[in-house]
Amino acid sequence: MKRYILKRVLQLVPILFGITLLSFILMNVGTADVIDVMESSTGSALTEEEKQEMREELGLDRPLPEQYGRWLLRALQGDMGESFVSGRPVFPEFVSKLPATISLTVSSVLVTILISVPLGILSAVRQNHFTDYLIRFLSFIGNSLPNFFVSLLLIYFFSLKLGLFPVMGSSGGWKSIVLPTLTLAIAMASKYTRQVRAAVLEELKKDYVTGARARGVRERKILFGSVLKTSMLTIITLLALSVGSLLGGTAIVESIFMWDGVGKMAVDAIAMRDYPVIQAYVIWMAVIYVVINLATDLIYHYLDPRIRLGQEEA
Amino acid sequence: MKKRSGILTVCLLAVCLLSGCGSPEQGTAESTGEKVFYYGDTTFNAENDEKDVNPHNGYSGWACIRYGIGETLFKYSDSMELEPWLATGYELVDENTWVVTLRDGVTFTSGRAMDAEAVKECLDHLVEVHERAKGDLKIREITADGQTLTIRTQEPVPALMNYLADPYGCIIDMQAGITEDGNVSGTGPYRATEVETDVGLTLVKNENFWNGTPKLDTIYVRTITDGDTMTMAMQTGELDAAYGLPYSSLSLFANDPYTISSVETSRSFFAQMNYATEALQDPNVRAAIAGAIDKEGFTQVLLEGNGSAANGPFPESFAFGDASVTAQPYDPEESRRLLAASGWTDTDGDGYVDKDGEILSIRWLTYPSRQELPLLAESVQASLKEIGILVEVNCTANHLDFIENGEWDIYASAFVCAPTGDPEYFFTTHCLDDSTKNRGGYHSDRLEELEEQMSGTFDPEERAVLATKMTQTILDDNAFVFASHLKMSIVSGEGVTGLTAHPCDYYEITVDLDKN
Repeated sequence: MKRYILKRVLQLVPILFGITLLSFILMNVGTADVIDVMESSTGSALTEEEKQEMREELGLDRPLPEQYGRWLLRALQGDMGESFVSGRPVFPEFVSKLPATISLTVSSVLVTILISVPLGILSAVRQNHFTDYLIRFLSFIGNSLPNFFVSLLLIYFFSLKLGLFPVMGSSGGWKSIVLPTLTLAIAMASKYTRQVRAAVLEELKKDYVTGARARGVRERKILFGSVLKTSMLTIITLLALSVGSLLGGTAIVESIFMWDGVGKMAVDAIAMRDYPVIQAYVIWMAVIYVVINLATDLIYHYLDPRIRLGQEEA
Repeated sequence: MKKRSGILTVCLLAVCLLSGCGSPEQGTAESTGEKVFYYGDTTFNAENDEKDVNPHNGYSGWACIRYGIGETLFKYSDSMELEPWLATGYELVDENTWVVTLRDGVTFTSGRAMDAEAVKECLDHLVEVHERAKGDLKIREITADGQTLTIRTQEPVPALMNYLADPYGCIIDMQAGITEDGNVSGTGPYRATEVETDVGLTLVKNENFWNGTPKLDTIYVRTITDGDTMTMAMQTGELDAAYGLPYSSLSLFANDPYTISSVETSRSFFAQMNYATEALQDPNVRAAIAGAIDKEGFTQVLLEGNGSAANGPFPESFAFGDASVTAQPYDPEESRRLLAASGWTDTDGDGYVDKDGEILSIRWLTYPSRQELPLLAESVQASLKEIGILVEVNCTANHLDFIENGEWDIYASAFVCAPTGDPEYFFTTHCLDDSTKNRGGYHSDRLEELEEQMSGTFDPEERAVLATKMTQTILDDNAFVFASHLKMSIVSGEGVTGLTAHPCDYYEITVDLDKN
């Protein structure tokens, strides 16, 4: 097991090298750099000399391979450099945004599970009854609404009309996480309710369920003791992907609710061609996906020991 | 048992994480009876080069002055004329020597008295670290004596006092220094206690303010990028006032208890012609385009009255503004005639004019980060179709690449044309042979001559006359078409007084701001 985990972690090295190089190349495809973009966004005019001095200060006047090499060398020493735009060290700036992103991820995944698992099971058990139709209809609606629209609807009803929650994420204490959580959870729960329903229905058709029923095992025990556990494999795969995506931030929801997470930071950095911040984000995303995939594999193994891990298969 | 402890762990983790989401400001001020003010703003962010409140850092001086932290030696009146502020007056000894007399009784929030030595330290540091200020001020030497400051420049700088009123000229105490998060000690009615880029800042009153008593104990400034969020936060009362609300939302605040303060600024939306495009080398075609753009319709309908149709780069409130110049009048009939005179007629009845088998089509390049520019592009597309010109709109955040590659015919942008109240800046940045933003390669002998005169003229009235002539020159050539001036609006909620929009766009929080 330890060897397997070590191997997966080591796989990160070529992945990180590859994606940081790729993102660096892509960011330099255009002719405009951060200095041009900042000049344009401030609506000001800089002379060519001023721009050149600023480029020299940031090292943007050097050849591209040298720029990447310098960044890589510093990164290997644990220094992610300074943001071209804010001038602040990238690593502490990035880390300061993580609690907001992680808390929103945890809360929205918990709410998603709390909504989708019971409703999915109920929908499967009541297949082709009114309850099933109603849940499927609602999940269809929830799936169809884009995040920004759900956000605005929630703010309109719960903040403006009922006054229950604050509009701005930064000013409402614990209440401020409720609406962004619901925004994310509504879309995810709508999707997962259908997945849980499908997975449970498939399991219910299997022979061991028929056998259990023939032996007189109670329906509840079959459902919660066996069916649900097996169905969870599918759900965990999907949840893992969602957790990865949520930990990467949700720029639109963060902007609307003024939630100070990494998503908006990344989108702003891309717009401004703030290369050191983009690289930090790219590394974060790679680490997230590798770690989450690893965690998912370990959970698979725990839930169903027949599933073997990496080398153990060989 | 294991399962239960697992669930408990997850719950505890969630509670721990959620407990970190609260804001320290919650419930503190109101419960102690302090006057607290919540201000929503769109501009305090790194993208605008306003990373903190240190005036010596990029455009952060705007935040320093806007939020009442710093003050400059001179300030602008409502008609954008210079008035004394931290200085009481100045004297021009010779072309390169200025003597500025400073106000007595002013102290920094650090407690240090503001004298000529403190101002010298501040300006010396400014020109050492701030490229734009260094280029504008061209300071050779500063000497300090009591409350008298003598500035010697490397060459004549007629607009020196105007430049010193630029937000980068906020006077800060360099002995108190600049903190790691970009906080400074100024002379304004408020001082910042917390500065967080892209998020906002916390201000508390300056108990020793020299010009009255600030009425609010604490001000929370919040950077809000989403217009709908800001609108609804105003409606719920989470914000006491907001700057930068979307135009479409302003009508919601037209009646009591809200008040809207609006003013025309020198931020203008305009198009410049690319002289490398063959069709645009023809003065008739340029005049036809300039005369076919329905500026009134654009500002009244698409901007919902939140802008004013422009003649030139400067609004009417300036001595050299729109009232003193004339632009090509809106007259589609005349535009059609001009096109026909140059051989552009609709020979095949497809609705577009053509010549030698080619229809007249224009690549209109602009960018989406200013909400007015895509609207202007759509408006122009419709207006020019009326006279038979096909407009292909390219509205992209990547506009600089297209400019670099020459893939454009008309480029529309937004620019603060007179940030220091002086007109020369616009011409030197956009219209001269060596201007960095003269992207279309415009050249005028007359304009170059007028600039030569302008650069050696110190008298503000004479400069205004020259500026009028220069504006008229570029308008006569139709090298630029000025569509509208931005009307800046600040919405105040119930009980808020003393918050007024100013034409320079950077005086907002003052000692007069109050909430009852």
